[in-house]
Amino acid sequence: MVQSILDAISLGGLYALAALGLGLVFGVMRLVNFAHGELITIAAYTLVLTVQFPLIVSILITVIVTSLVAFLMELTIYRRLRGVNPAIMLIASFGLSTVLQRVYELIFGALPKSAVVAPFLSGAFSIGGLSITISSVITVVLTVIILLAMGYLVERTSLGLQLRAAAADFKTARLLGVRANRLISAAFVLSGILASCVAFILVIQNPEVNPYYGLNITILALVGIVIGGISSLRGAALGGFIVGVILSALNTLLGNGRVYAYSWLFFAVLIILLVKPGGLLSKGNELERV
Amino acid sequence: MALLEVSNLAAGYGKVEVITDISFSVEPGKSVGIVGPNGVGKSTLLQAIAGGVSASAGSVRLAGLDILGKKPEDIVRLGLSLVPEGRQIFSGLSVKENLALGLTGRKDKKGAGAAIEKMRELFPVLSTHENHQAGMLSGGQQQQLAIARALISEPKVLLLDEPSLGLAPTVIDDVFETLRQIIELGTAVVIVEQRANLITNFADETIIIREGRIQSRLTPADAANSDSLARTYFGAGE
Amino acid sequence: MKFPGLTRFSLQNLFGPIAVLTILTFFLDRASSSLQLMTQLALCTFMMVLALQVFVGNSGVLSFGHGSFALLGSYVSGMLTAPVNIKSHALALNQLWHFLIPLKTNIYIALIISAVLSALVAGLTGILLMRLSGLASGIATFALLGVTYNIFFNNKQLGPGSQALPAVPTITNTYILLILILIAIFFVYLFNISRSGRSLRATREDPMAAPALGISIFKVRLIAFVFSGLLAGLSGGMYVHVAGTFQVQDYYLDFTFTTLSMLIVGGSASIWGALVGTILITGVGQILLMMEQHLPIFGVTIGIPLGSRAVIIAVTFVAMLLWRSSGITNGREFSLPRFKRS
Repeated sequence: MVQSILDAISLGGLYALAALGLGLVFGVMRLVNFAHGELITIAAYTLVLTVQFPLIVSILITVIVTSLVAFLMELTIYRRLRGVNPAIMLIASFGLSTVLQRVYELIFGALPKSAVVAPFLSGAFSIGGLSITISSVITVVLTVIILLAMGYLVERTSLGLQLRAAAADFKTARLLGVRANRLISAAFVLSGILASCVAFILVIQNPEVNPYYGLNITILALVGIVIGGISSLRGAALGGFIVGVILSALNTLLGNGRVYAYSWLFFAVLIILLVKPGGLLSKGNELERV
Repeated sequence: MALLEVSNLAAGYGKVEVITDISFSVEPGKSVGIVGPNGVGKSTLLQAIAGGVSASAGSVRLAGLDILGKKPEDIVRLGLSLVPEGRQIFSGLSVKENLALGLTGRKDKKGAGAAIEKMRELFPVLSTHENHQAGMLSGGQQQQLAIARALISEPKVLLLDEPSLGLAPTVIDDVFETLRQIIELGTAVVIVEQRANLITNFADETIIIREGRIQSRLTPADAANSDSLARTYFGAGE
Repeated sequence: MKFPGLTRFSLQNLFGPIAVLTILTFFLDRASSSLQLMTQLALCTFMMVLALQVFVGNSGVLSFGHGSFALLGSYVSGMLTAPVNIKSHALALNQLWHFLIPLKTNIYIALIISAVLSALVAGLTGILLMRLSGLASGIATFALLGVTYNIFFNNKQLGPGSQALPAVPTITNTYILLILILIAIFFVYLFNISRSGRSLRATREDPMAAPALGISIFKVRLIAFVFSGLLAGLSGGMYVHVAGTFQVQDYYLDFTFTTLSMLIVGGSASIWGALVGTILITGVGQILLMMEQHLPIFGVTIGIPLGSRAVIIAVTFVAMLLWRSSGITNGREFSLPRFKRS
């Protein structure tokens, strides 16, 4: 029972991080970056392929590679699509996601690559007669630390202030001097860092990396930011958390029917969207035209 | 040499040209008013000057430097600030945070502390509400915040789009008194207003725009003489 | 307010698609058995792209969910025509609900039923989905795809689950498929120039003005969604009778991406665009496939590494979006070149 609750919280935290990565980019560009999943995938590949190095070095390399890919993604593709019809941006992002999946398959092959990244994190320990997995505890601790760090960045730094202002009203922010290009690049790099964190946590639990590794969690993170409210970063994280918790709960409660957990989740999401189209944290009916 | 020189400016949205052949200039410590009926393109004009909207023809020079086509965030750093229509303050952020955003447009980061102090003097009400959410301020206070936020980057030229909108008469008086102080300190000010009577006596020169073009230019003396004429034009716009 | 796009019936618009399709089918069908299969599959795919054109092209709203209707079409038509003894004995189907086993009919009735059922499901889901717009709508159609995949992949009582449905009877005559396509083109064209089609395009251009003109955005979108659901179901039905089988995985992300690419690259605003895109991507894809397998093309052999075909197609798609988002045909239907008289 305790393990189930811990699992729910850790999954919620993980999805909160994933959703936050998406939310950062959405806030500054009103763009849903489907290719965020491919950032998670490349981070996972890098972790697995650098396993021979000390863990710190491996993580550092991963963060650098992933942030670079995110930065280039914006520079080469998304920058040219600014101001374009939102449906085009959405399908371009879907297209970019597909391109990267296929490039990964070309480079790494369709068969999974795996490695045990942090062997000291596997296994379980006992507290008061209960057996608890180390990885779930570490996941909760890690997500709390990262979320707190992000919270600090967003609420108390100049960069965070600019990100919040841009998410509310980019045009006016620019009139005050906020540099559009730098801010958007910063948002992408931050999302890359968050993707690395998500990949690290995922790889501990599932060390087999294939070209579609980050796909599942991105779809669910997307669901998360939509239900949490696309107009704020807090909403994104909250939405992601809720999706993770619900999914974990469904997995535990449905027993044999747990394969249909996704269907139930999507169904719940549909209801939420119909009642509150702007997301749970929104104030009533918002016509967010994306 | 004029601080701000606008020549034959034309701008619009897509294929629709909203303003054509607009020319005027402002000296330091002087003000220009721009009036005209609703929808005639006054906001488009200011946005085109400040870089928020792209222009299709003409030129804009700030202290001799060509700024047309530059990004708004670069124009701010060159010394031109716009207080947009509807104030557009960030209602979810605090007053302090709104002002801090205004600091991003400062070219000289070191004078930030002094600039903040100056704003506190000019707009004492903002000090009291420093940590409150900007959305909770009254209309007049929000207008002061919007102006302070634009001034904190110490621009040479300040553009204001309908600063009197939605404000009570006494509050409007306060706002214009503040603008008078700013002008006295040497800033060049361009004010767009729908209500001509607010501007024609105040500004050193008032430009009347009709159907996207300049129809006439008035000085306060002209306005006093043709008061009845101005009223005929704009009486319906009250 | 101007209604964008076509408004009048003009025979020359149909001339292009009909001529090109007929000529291509004629030559490719008799060229070789592998080209014949490719052509048959391409015709099924084109039906799907037509379905997307009806909805996405006219409404400007993206749908990732149409794969669900195609899946449904394949499933229904396949299950209704698969031999009864297969359904009762095949290992993949050993948990099938009993009432599904004896249901059998011929291919054409099955196709009609699958199209109608898909349209029905599109109607029911559309009542919920068409109320949403923008990002929420995109996510919701994605969810529709996900739910359909999730259910059909895991449920062994409805159908074969993750395995292939065996022994479905096939249509061997390519011209039957061609006739279905030509009929579909005719009706799609009629829809595009109809009041519904024009109103729908008006909502795409100016969603604020539409209600003022008495256009209910919800209603016109729903009509298009149902019609496109019908066509998508039909395409799925056609596919299962060409391949003789189907699998749930055939209608997930790759399928969604490929069909949307064909529409976007060709130009989402017209039937001609849908056709150009389908031909281009199918053709280029075929050539790239041969290059991947190091087969000679017109005597020349250029080899490319395995997996690069998929990359090239995807990159082409993104490049097209960056270069010209209205596609190659730039929103125009086919028209005969005008000969100037001096």
